[in-house]
Amino acid sequence: MSEERGIEKIRTYEEINQKIKSGDAVVLTADEFIKAVEESGLEKATKEVDVVTTGTFGAMCSSGAFINFGHSEPPIKMFKCWLNDVPAYKGLAAVDCYIGATAMSETKGFEYGGGNVIEDLVSGKEIELRAEAYGTDCYPRRSIETTLTINDLNQAILLNPRNAYERYNAATNSTDKILYTYMGTLLPHYGNITYCGAGQLSPLYKDKGFETIGIGTRIFLGGGIGYIIGEGTQHNPQNQFGTVMVRGDLKQMNARYLRGATYNKYGTTLYVGVGIPIPIINERVAASAALRDDEIFTNILDYGVPSRSRPTVKKASYAELKSGKVQINQKEIPSSSLSSNKVAKEIALTLKNWIEQGTFLLNRPAELIPNHREIKPLEVKGREPKVRDVMTREIIVGKPNDDIKDVARTLIAKGVDHLPIVDNEGKLIGIITSWDLAKAVAQDKRQLHEIMTLKVVSAKEDEAIDTVIRRMEQHNISGVPVVDQSNHIIGILTTDDISRKLVRRVIE
Amino acid sequence: MKLKLIYSRENLGKPVLSDVISKTNLPINILEAKITLNTGEMLIDVPAIGEKLKEVSNLFQKAGLIVKEITRTIEIDREKCISCGACVSPCPVRAITQDFNWDVDFDEQKCVGCGICVDACPVRAIRML
Repeated sequence: MSEERGIEKIRTYEEINQKIKSGDAVVLTADEFIKAVEESGLEKATKEVDVVTTGTFGAMCSSGAFINFGHSEPPIKMFKCWLNDVPAYKGLAAVDCYIGATAMSETKGFEYGGGNVIEDLVSGKEIELRAEAYGTDCYPRRSIETTLTINDLNQAILLNPRNAYERYNAATNSTDKILYTYMGTLLPHYGNITYCGAGQLSPLYKDKGFETIGIGTRIFLGGGIGYIIGEGTQHNPQNQFGTVMVRGDLKQMNARYLRGATYNKYGTTLYVGVGIPIPIINERVAASAALRDDEIFTNILDYGVPSRSRPTVKKASYAELKSGKVQINQKEIPSSSLSSNKVAKEIALTLKNWIEQGTFLLNRPAELIPNHREIKPLEVKGREPKVRDVMTREIIVGKPNDDIKDVARTLIAKGVDHLPIVDNEGKLIGIITSWDLAKAVAQDKRQLHEIMTLKVVSAKEDEAIDTVIRRMEQHNISGVPVVDQSNHIIGILTTDDISRKLVRRVIE
Repeated sequence: MKLKLIYSRENLGKPVLSDVISKTNLPINILEAKITLNTGEMLIDVPAIGEKLKEVSNLFQKAGLIVKEITRTIEIDREKCISCGACVSPCPVRAITQDFNWDVDFDEQKCVGCGICVDACPVRAIRML
């Protein structure tokens, strides 16, 4: 960037605010700005438009609220506390707590969480407060059970460490099982694609150089006025994965733009409405604000691979994702959003109205948030058990033409439940269990190939044990053959191995 | 019309469905089937109405099956719905779509009542009827 980042070359914040106050500011939503650029060109639109408004409404797990309850008589130094049975963080002063969106109810589990508590507070509903304490000389009370509403609280401050991802990876599933993820329900065999983020309305993508967004930027947050207080956690702007940390008064907010939610078999979260006004201060900001859905790309990742680095299946534009169908391997796959494009539009429009009415002025940030940040993974130190550490290497295998009764005798003699079937080169081609054998004997079957399961769930020796345990749970099986790169069998891993060998490790 | 057939242990071994198809000459389509050694449930689409449908239903009942007509399948609570789309692409029969305004549309004719959308909805706005 040759010029200073954030240079107010076309108009200053003061000039924009003067026009807002006098009712002369030209404010367009990002959708409208794109149309204006298409009609009259970027240069003319840049000259004419003062502010572009944006919006997004999606699940933002790194969200929560600081609450101050006020002091009871006699007073309490709360050590643990729950709001509607959802535990809140109490590592703070006596009657302060933080209720996080992903904390789950101890009685309702996945069906109710911190996100729902925040929504219920904002809706004015009565909330049950339960707290425990150990009692001190200054705070003698040991427990509290009462009800309260948001009006009873001294402060209820929404403070979200990471919101409004600039864009997000889309998801699909290559496995033969339905997956329940934080990217929603993923059908087997690339049955569907889910994506997140508002594309051409996405607040952070509309100023991707972070020239106007910084500490103190006034924003639309949850239906009220909020502020950006810094970069968000995992902020990674050079790869268009920028995030922001935001803060706002819950008492001013509206539950239409703060909704508690549950991702099936994943957990609870909070849908947060965020809208950021982008002042058109220079040409670079204008060009970024003019980016269209077909110019904003993201990767569709295979969530069937439960790893930090999931393979990219395809790179797709938001225009393609929003069209409802994406081509993968000459097949048309249905795609749908998890964040609400409808509410995102509504937020951008609401923010535009606020500015046009003169009630919402723009702030020059005290400090711009960084436009470069390295993202580091967590390296786990120390050795964790891999499949090779726990698997049984002395294995008994069968051949397709083996006689069922002979095999049954061997399995009983050796006390094993799983028999991998291999071809003449030792490559895995099937498996049978002792249950299959019992059934086969009853049905008078003769050879293994008549009864063996051909689709074998297997493991590799360098996989983490936890990954393979999850795979066994998903397929409801108690053992997997371990194979090398060319599918030669080298061992077997059973729940027996895991419980005996791992438990012994822990005890030792 | 979609029918749910509930098999019991006694009638699982019999080719009930093929009998009904050959008797009525109707191209009955199996939408979903869960059959084990002891129990069975099948969702079928019968391209018939009125008397003909009644005939089909009676034949299944005579064979000892419990027959339920599936007229309505899911209901979307429009007050709760946030028009996100989390239920749209997971629908295996594409009975749920979004219009130009991102509002969620539901086609009862296509729905097979699998319930995937009920679990996929993050704000619990969909319920089975």
